[in-house]
Amino acid sequence: MQNESIYVLLADDDKDDRDFFIEAFESIRIKTIVKTVNDGVELMKHLALNRNKLPHILFLDLNMPLKSGMECLIEIKKTDYLNDMAIAIYSTSASEQDIENAFVNGANVYIKKPHDFATLKKFLEEVITINWQYQTSGLNRDSFLLNL
Amino acid sequence: MSKYYSIFLKSIFVISLFILLFISGVSYKHANSLDTSTELLSHSYKIQIQLEKIQSCVKDAETGQRGYIITHDSTFLTPYFNGRSKVTKSLAILKNLTTNQPDLQKSLDQLQKLIDLRFTRLANSLAIISGSDTNEPLGENMLKGTELMNDIHSKIDQMVYSETTNFNNHQRKYEHEISFTPFITLLLFIFTLFILFIFIISFIRINKDLIVLKNSNEELSISTESIKHAEIIGKFCMSIWNFKTDKLIYSDNLYRLLGCEPQSFEPSIENFLKFVHPEDRHIVTNGVENLVLKHDTYTRFYRVIRKDGQERFFRSIGKFIENFGYSTHIGVIQDVTQEHLNNLTLKEKNIELELSNKELASFNQIASHDLQEPLRKIQTFISLIGEREMSGMSDFGKNYFARIQISVTRMRRLIDDLLLFSRTNKMDKIFEKSDLNVLIKNILLEFSEEIVEKSVHLECAQLPVLKVIPFQIQQLFQNLISNSLKYSKLIGDRFIIIDCEKINAKVYPTLNVPTDNEYYKITVTDNGIGFEQQYAEQIFTIFKRLHTSDEYPGTGIGLAICKKIVENHSGFIFAEGKSGIGATFTIFFPVE
Repeated sequence: MQNESIYVLLADDDKDDRDFFIEAFESIRIKTIVKTVNDGVELMKHLALNRNKLPHILFLDLNMPLKSGMECLIEIKKTDYLNDMAIAIYSTSASEQDIENAFVNGANVYIKKPHDFATLKKFLEEVITINWQYQTSGLNRDSFLLNL
Repeated sequence: MSKYYSIFLKSIFVISLFILLFISGVSYKHANSLDTSTELLSHSYKIQIQLEKIQSCVKDAETGQRGYIITHDSTFLTPYFNGRSKVTKSLAILKNLTTNQPDLQKSLDQLQKLIDLRFTRLANSLAIISGSDTNEPLGENMLKGTELMNDIHSKIDQMVYSETTNFNNHQRKYEHEISFTPFITLLLFIFTLFILFIFIISFIRINKDLIVLKNSNEELSISTESIKHAEIIGKFCMSIWNFKTDKLIYSDNLYRLLGCEPQSFEPSIENFLKFVHPEDRHIVTNGVENLVLKHDTYTRFYRVIRKDGQERFFRSIGKFIENFGYSTHIGVIQDVTQEHLNNLTLKEKNIELELSNKELASFNQIASHDLQEPLRKIQTFISLIGEREMSGMSDFGKNYFARIQISVTRMRRLIDDLLLFSRTNKMDKIFEKSDLNVLIKNILLEFSEEIVEKSVHLECAQLPVLKVIPFQIQQLFQNLISNSLKYSKLIGDRFIIIDCEKINAKVYPTLNVPTDNEYYKITVTDNGIGFEQQYAEQIFTIFKRLHTSDEYPGTGIGLAICKKIVENHSGFIFAEGKSGIGATFTIFFPVE
């Protein structure tokens, strides 16, 4: 992991949020490759075209036009070659309903978009340093919503 | 039932009439034969009397003559001289009496001849005595006279016997006829009793029926009168349309509802239509057509214009009733103007309410997402600039930059609190049995840092287990404790005491609830800066603050949320304060 860059993909329709996301990763000292797509349809297309180079972690906004994050999540978990991918929900909403649905549908972690840049950095750093390979087996509802 | 009863009564009267006629017939015949028999008897007696009279007259004449012959006294001859005329008179009477009896007439003629002969003999005897006739000796003449007398006797006896026989025959026949009389009389008596019995029963029944009829008539007039009043009070009226006779009846109140005098026009649909609003006439006419075709129950609304020009709203409800093989339509027409207007107002208010609810919902949507989104970005931008550019910024810039941060943070809190307030209503209210001690412990953990920092002495009594919405109760105590901490005194000992006791509502009449209700009274008391008692109610109003946000930061929503939560749990919350001494918040939760 030290030598290899972590490949992170974000699906978010909001340009500001995508910029914050890229900005945050740039100021983290971990080597990462960050790519972004603008909505759910584009995401699914991107994943299908790059089967051999799937991201280590997919950050998924819930509220997107054309295809929502929840629809993407369900579709990904149904697709054989995609369902090992770690998925972090990255949303403005922190409603119980959304959190519950995301958990049930197999997301690994839920991040509520924070109000300041420092917190955002902390969140992202935390998420990419977790070894999801081991974490997936013991999903925990209580620690699902990331809270630092 | 009454139908059979009336047939029963009619047949009883017909049978009784026949029996009476029969009885009269029998009695008449009976009386008639009795009469005939009596007449026959007297007839017989009359004949016998006259015959005896004749016999005695002849005898008297004979005896008198004998007396004259012996004594030569002429007074003895009086019966002889009178006898002749008496006998003629009796014979005439007898002739009259026996006009229908030829046997007797014949005998009578023979008797008359014998009597004539006898009187001739008597006259001969007198002539012999006086010496004018000497052809025959007196003795012989008298002897022949005696023989004649014997003939007369035997003739009379024979006639009496014949008449008696005749009478006896009649009498026997009559007796034969009346031999059934006792039986017939008994039968008649029984029949009469039977008829009397039937008549008495019928009389009782009829009398009973009359009483029932009288009572029902009374009831009917009472109910008719009641309906009339009910119609006036209830502003309704009736139309009754008999389909068999095609007769339409409108009750008096229909005319009153139209502003007319009762029964002032002929009840007809055409006449009624004149009062119906021209735009609504089709409703009534279509209705009538449907009515005739389908015989359905219906409800219709339309406007009418009263005689005085007032517009009113009417409702007609109609039903068909099949009775005695033909249908009657009963319509109830009601003036529903007031109801209609109330409904209109209610509808308007409902629309307004719906609109404001929609506005509120969309406001919530705006507050929760659309407002939060740019705010979050502003905050992130600020923090990004703060992180990257702060070192190169002038003091002027740093000052205002810090103020921007404070304002943005405050706005964030306002939006969060407002959302919390509006969600306090809408969240799924799932009541769970929860231990309030555990809920409080969670909250105290959250505040532990601040409690230590401000060195606040905190006491918490044993709290009950209640059926509540856990996160709301947590929110409630969180707001109260946060308030107490925020408004604590700057110097001196600080304490917050949470107390609890079970009370009966009658101790707290201000609650205005049934007195046997039990409540948990939970108080949160502090010795902070307190407040003037006059504001005790206002502080629960949303956005109502007693301090500027410079002195004490806040949004003025926290206590409003508390009040809402307590009300969600059918409880009460009151505040008590003394400026500079402290505040007590008292909450009542129902035990059940």
